[in-house]
Amino acid sequence: MKAKKYIYNYIGILVGIILSLNSLAQEDNTQLWEKANAYYTTEEYQQAVLMYEQILNTGEESAKLYFNLGNSYYKSGDINNAILNFERAKVLAPHDEDIEFNLRIANQYVVTSIDELPQPFFLRWRQSVVNMYPADSWSVISISAFLVFLFLLGLFVFSQKVFIRRLSFWAGILLIVFSAFTFSFAAQQKKKIVERNQAIVFCPRVTVKSSPTQTGTDLFLIYEGLKVEITDSLTTWTEIKLADGNEGWLPDSCIVKI
Amino acid sequence: MQAEQTRFAMSAPNAVETGKQFRLSFTVNERGSNLKLPPDLTDNFNVLMGPSTGQSTSIQTINGRTTTQVNYSYTYILQAKKEGNYELRPASIEINGKVFESNSLEIHVVKAQAKTVQPQTGNTNQGTQSVDLGKDNLFVRVDMNKRNVFRGEQIISTVKLYLTPNIPIAGFDEVNLPTYEGFYTQDIEIPQQINFTREVYNNKIYQVGILKKTILFPQQNGAIRIEPFSLSLLVQQRVKQRSFFDDFFSGYRTVKATVTSSAVSVNVKDLPSAPPDFFGGVGNFNITSEISNENITTNDAVTLKLKITGSGNIRLIKNPDLKLPSDFEIYDPRATDKVTASENGASGTKTIEYLFQPRFEGDYTIPAIQFAYFNPVSGSYITKSTQEYALHVEKGTEEQSATVISSLRKEDVQLIGQDIRFIKQGNPSLKIKSSTFYGTPLFYLGYAGSSILFLLLFIIYRKKAKENANIALMRNKKANRVARKQLKAASVFMKQNKDEAFHESILKAFEGYLSDKLGIAVAELNRESAVSNLQDRNVEQEVIDDYLEVVEQCEFARYAPSGGSEARGEMYKKAESTMSRFEKQIKK
Repeated sequence: MKAKKYIYNYIGILVGIILSLNSLAQEDNTQLWEKANAYYTTEEYQQAVLMYEQILNTGEESAKLYFNLGNSYYKSGDINNAILNFERAKVLAPHDEDIEFNLRIANQYVVTSIDELPQPFFLRWRQSVVNMYPADSWSVISISAFLVFLFLLGLFVFSQKVFIRRLSFWAGILLIVFSAFTFSFAAQQKKKIVERNQAIVFCPRVTVKSSPTQTGTDLFLIYEGLKVEITDSLTTWTEIKLADGNEGWLPDSCIVKI
Repeated sequence: MQAEQTRFAMSAPNAVETGKQFRLSFTVNERGSNLKLPPDLTDNFNVLMGPSTGQSTSIQTINGRTTTQVNYSYTYILQAKKEGNYELRPASIEINGKVFESNSLEIHVVKAQAKTVQPQTGNTNQGTQSVDLGKDNLFVRVDMNKRNVFRGEQIISTVKLYLTPNIPIAGFDEVNLPTYEGFYTQDIEIPQQINFTREVYNNKIYQVGILKKTILFPQQNGAIRIEPFSLSLLVQQRVKQRSFFDDFFSGYRTVKATVTSSAVSVNVKDLPSAPPDFFGGVGNFNITSEISNENITTNDAVTLKLKITGSGNIRLIKNPDLKLPSDFEIYDPRATDKVTASENGASGTKTIEYLFQPRFEGDYTIPAIQFAYFNPVSGSYITKSTQEYALHVEKGTEEQSATVISSLRKEDVQLIGQDIRFIKQGNPSLKIKSSTFYGTPLFYLGYAGSSILFLLLFIIYRKKAKENANIALMRNKKANRVARKQLKAASVFMKQNKDEAFHESILKAFEGYLSDKLGIAVAELNRESAVSNLQDRNVEQEVIDDYLEVVEQCEFARYAPSGGSEARGEMYKKAESTMSRFEKQIKK
């Protein structure tokens, strides 16, 4: 009886500490955020970068944070980091027009021009639909669709009227399919966040090799700021794939994952 | 006006030589046509040219009278075929439709005379005659310092004129100097005035004049033949005295002597297989290089100057490759050469300027340029090399590098002027890294919970519905029985003459029956809902009408009791029959 009480107390204190710590951190970050934004506004971009990075170091992130950090890097002349952070912001908020715009401007400084492999139109459409919302929004949409489906199922089961039953039957099928699709969209967006299989090249100029050794045949040259897809890795080497389909190996140190 | 007399005359020299040209001319004082030459003219003479026509007009004024005379002339140039005496028969011409004939002529043709044998006085000024002074006395020759060379090796070719000392030269008439086909040539400048020097050739003393000196670079392998060329000289020749007066006018005459050289051939050997750094240089060379700057920024361009000096085919050397890092912007190299041709051959300098611009900061190595040339003396390739350069590139200032890079942009330059959009303000809505609602227990609970809730609701509803359905079925089944009971009660009331109670129970019987049968609550049952419900169940209109009549009469009778037992009996009967028909027609 007494032991139980002790445990309850203990848990209570622990929860209290965690909550207070959390709120403390939150407050700290909000302060940092405000400060960083102020630095940016007064054109002290280096300071702003430091502040934003500090927030990131607390283990928290958001599309806005990455966006502002990208802007600060861009303004302080570090295009590679700007692109990196814009890309990170884009992962969290795939349909944000500001991010899209700034990323495009930053990408103008990328020397390597790549003609992307043309994708079939249905893949492009699907991709643009998936990118309309981040994972969480899709999750909510999917659950909502599921709830509506249940309601329609109820109508179908209980209604006496033939018309309503027919209508609810078809609408219900439509909604369960919709819910399944949005579920898969959410899964894809989540995968993008978790996997992080894209990277930005940070070396000013790097020769892509045919094999993960220094003696490998030189395949092609790429320049800093380029976005590449990571397909494999071995010791200190990473296999990358360009948007135009070219593949090759380059040292780990030359890229930073998005 | 004086009456005109037509005159048509033919004239020619009366004595000509075979092979010599002479004129045959016709004059006429009126315009004529269709001139016919003497018939047998072409048997003994060749018509070389003609007719060439001419016209002359003379106007005379004598004592105020003016006379105009026009002469037309036709001239032919003829050549006699053989010697002999020939008569030219009259020629004819048509004037104003009339045919006129000319006079006839006699021509004496003699054999051509050799001029050297029998020089004619006064002929010396009128052109020169060709003579042959003998191959040993006057000849030309192409002298080459080498006859057996490698391809690209230089040869000095000299065109020399050889004369025996006693032949005086007056000048050159026609000079066709050799064309050196198969060679790249470069002339050596020699004085305009030809200086003759004494030289012994074939055990004879000659005066030798150098006409031309050329450096030749063979461009093809094998034996190259230099075609013979010819030269016409004017030579002064002493004229034999024939009379006292001759000497007074001229003791010499100028004759033309044509000399032709013999063909010369040069044997050209191919070069041995070349190393990769061979750029066509044959001779003896040296190379040096010079860089404009080794510490630069990305804004700067660098010039690397390569100097090739030496003797040989310097003009024919291709630009050596400069192997630069691949991301350098490289412009076309500019080459200038300065070559002097002298007795010792061609020598000079070729300067090649490589201009390039690094695009990125870093340390680069400009590799040494390897330059291999062929030395014909040793018969082997010699490779020379410049020094390496280390290039340190710093990042240039932003604006300039931006403008430099802008030329490589795939986007319009215009866009670079744009700026990124401003930062986002407000709540940063921070979250723990890579945490999403998707995949959390709550997320799955959204599906699972709602499904379970639905299932529960469904089960409860089904249970209730089942119960309800049971009650309705029971009521349905009992309906007839209950209604019959009610009707029976009504018949009891009928017998007791309880009018009000009778109608009441008939109404109740129908009410209860329809309520149970149609599954409508008693409270909601009225005439309209009953009728519409009955119509839904395909009950005949006749039955419905009967039902309505019964209900109406009962209700009417309730408030205004009237009629006797007969009416009640009839009503009862009607109610009973309606009820039984209902029972039959209302489907479950």
